[in-house]
Amino acid sequence: MLTDYGYVGLFLIIAILFAVSMPLLPLTLSLLGLVPKKPNPIKTSTYECGVETIGKTWVQFNFRYYFYALLFVVFDILIVFLFPWATKLKQLGAGAFVAVLAFLLILMVGYIYAWMKRVLEWK
Amino acid sequence: MSLKLELLTPELSLLIFALLVILLDLGIKQKKVLAGVSILGLLVSGGFVLTLWGRESASAFNGMFLVDPFALFFKLLFLIAAGLVILASQDYVSKFARFQGEYYALILISAIGMMLLATTGELISIYIALELSSISLYILTGFLKDPKSSEAGLKYLLLGAVASATLLYGMALVFGLTGKTRLTEIAQAIQTIPLTTLLDSPALLLGIILLACGFGFKIACVPFQMWVPDVYEGAPTPITAYLSVASKAAGFAVIARFFYTTFGVPDWLSLNWGILFASLSAITMTLGNVIAIAQTNIKRMLGYSSIAQAGYLMVGLAAVGVASMADTLGRSGLLFFLASYTLTNLGAFIAIIAISNKIDSDLIDDYTGMGSRAPLLALGLTLCLISLIGLPPTAGLIAKIYIFNAGVHYGLLWLVVIGVINSCISAYYYLGVVKVMWLGAPVSEEKVPSSWALRIVLALTCLGVLVLGIIPGKFVQIAETAVRIFTS
Amino acid sequence: MTVLDIVFWLLAVISIGAALAVVFLQNIFRAALFLVLCFFAVAGLFITLQADFLAVAQVLIYVGAISILIILAIMLTREMWRGNPGGRFQLPAFIIALGLFGVMVWAVINTSWQISAELPLVPTTAAIGSRLFGEGGLLLPLEIAAVLLLAAILGAIVLVREK
Repeated sequence: MLTDYGYVGLFLIIAILFAVSMPLLPLTLSLLGLVPKKPNPIKTSTYECGVETIGKTWVQFNFRYYFYALLFVVFDILIVFLFPWATKLKQLGAGAFVAVLAFLLILMVGYIYAWMKRVLEWK
Repeated sequence: MSLKLELLTPELSLLIFALLVILLDLGIKQKKVLAGVSILGLLVSGGFVLTLWGRESASAFNGMFLVDPFALFFKLLFLIAAGLVILASQDYVSKFARFQGEYYALILISAIGMMLLATTGELISIYIALELSSISLYILTGFLKDPKSSEAGLKYLLLGAVASATLLYGMALVFGLTGKTRLTEIAQAIQTIPLTTLLDSPALLLGIILLACGFGFKIACVPFQMWVPDVYEGAPTPITAYLSVASKAAGFAVIARFFYTTFGVPDWLSLNWGILFASLSAITMTLGNVIAIAQTNIKRMLGYSSIAQAGYLMVGLAAVGVASMADTLGRSGLLFFLASYTLTNLGAFIAIIAISNKIDSDLIDDYTGMGSRAPLLALGLTLCLISLIGLPPTAGLIAKIYIFNAGVHYGLLWLVVIGVINSCISAYYYLGVVKVMWLGAPVSEEKVPSSWALRIVLALTCLGVLVLGIIPGKFVQIAETAVRIFTS
Repeated sequence: MTVLDIVFWLLAVISIGAALAVVFLQNIFRAALFLVLCFFAVAGLFITLQADFLAVAQVLIYVGAISILIILAIMLTREMWRGNPGGRFQLPAFIIALGLFGVMVWAVINTSWQISAELPLVPTTAAIGSRLFGEGGLLLPLEIAAVLLLAAILGAIVLVREK
């Protein structure tokens, strides 16, 4: 198993090296004098990176995002519990199924609550 | 696997009612019904507890879920406390009218957490049950949403999170050392490690200390009491009452079971944590009482007073530790004291809720002349304060005699002497309130009316305080049976 | 020194460095991003311990969900630019933390831990499944966790909604 993750690690290292070398390459080339450096306003302006920003970049988010994030966390945790159960679904049998059902039922009450309280609506 | 569903009925029924309250809240306009449903749930759950009472101790989930008289005693205590708190909230809920359903549901859920805390014998379950009861209480503390309440909720949450982390560190060390999560198995594993003092196994030493710190936050003993005054002042008053009795009792329940079962053998190990709790007890009661004298806000004063009371209760814990497996007096004293303290403190807070609802102030000075403005409430409050000091004819006296007797019996005379001195100190500030109420000239002639719900609950608690104080025999018996059969 | 050792030390240094950055950075948004890095490094540590399910859960919950919640919470605040000002307890807190660290290290080094001779189980997911849901499993804490999550949903909605 570890060797499999070793490949992931290798991939990660290559990715990091690639990411670091890309900005370093032009910098070293210009330092060595291999490329000429003649900046002018049009050349240094933002190019294909969206519109230039006006005002502060920091905007306050709508607090409704928070509800979605929170429900996401809750159901994310649910997935973590369901996954190991699913891998042994047949061997674990009815007892585990009932347990998972109870788990889902309790959380479903929370979901219904959020739904009915119109937390999930975007007004 | 036999699930033994009947053992789970108290928690299960309460959970079903809590879910019902949440769902009914979505459709019902008349919110008083929700209070009724909650009370009904508590009654049904209490009924199930009573059917289990007197049966042989048993366990479900392979020894994770222990049903013994000790656990049942605490379950009943939490149910009573939750019921009285819900009844006492009837006037108060108008302050957060929109969220009444959630309020009741969260009280029920935290009660479930506490019941589970008293009944589980396994590290992971203990931790999650503790979190369940705490998280509901964090939310309830911030329920008023004014700056003070929010600050209280945030402080409670942050400090509680640190305490949880400490507890987890302790559990991790104990688990790492023994490789077990069930308390009885941990106890067996510890006995197989060749140890003569705790210094032979620093991880165990550190584990015990960190566990004591983590649980100490829950019972608010010194030096983990920092959150108490601010949280008690900022929280909605019924929740303050709930925090000061039920949450504290849950902490004591889990400490008593955890330390007794896990670190009860060998004797020297038990003695170590016995002494730890004895010294914490001495500091806790002294500090709580001394600072309480200087308070001008009655909720803060009762906050410090509850710290001091935790100190007295810890005399029982210390006795359990010192006597180790021979102990019966320490634990039954603890149970009796907790029952008496729950009724007394709830009574005091209910009177305060009734009074401050009308005069809109928590300052002791504003209670001047309350004896003529609201004689019944003042009488109830006086009775409860007298019981907190430990004067006859109240439950407080019997409880103190009982728990101090346990201390003396197991050779903790020095601690008991400190306790008695502290009781005298405490009389000063408790009687100060009584004096202000009865002898001070009233600031206005206006009567302080109170609702029927509050009057009935106050009458019930006062009756309980008197019954425990005058005919304690039966209840002492219950406390003794509750610890005799202690599944481990 | 094997490759595994090198990877371990690399991940250890990254996680501790990131954790320190979380504490010391003034800009809380950057602190949150370093927290993500720290979570990732810890997931890597789980992999070196052959706990693959734990690593995935770590990435799913901590990197995927909790970090998003933290970053969203930061974005909801109006005065983010105030940063992370130091309080007057900075020095005492530092000393206490250092003391705690010392005690922990002392306890861990001086204890004779029982080390299992068994080889780690691979893959772990199915084993965790039967440990959680199977005979003598952890069903009780699992169900309590569901109620805990329900309480969290209720609380979050109540506390955030306007009065």
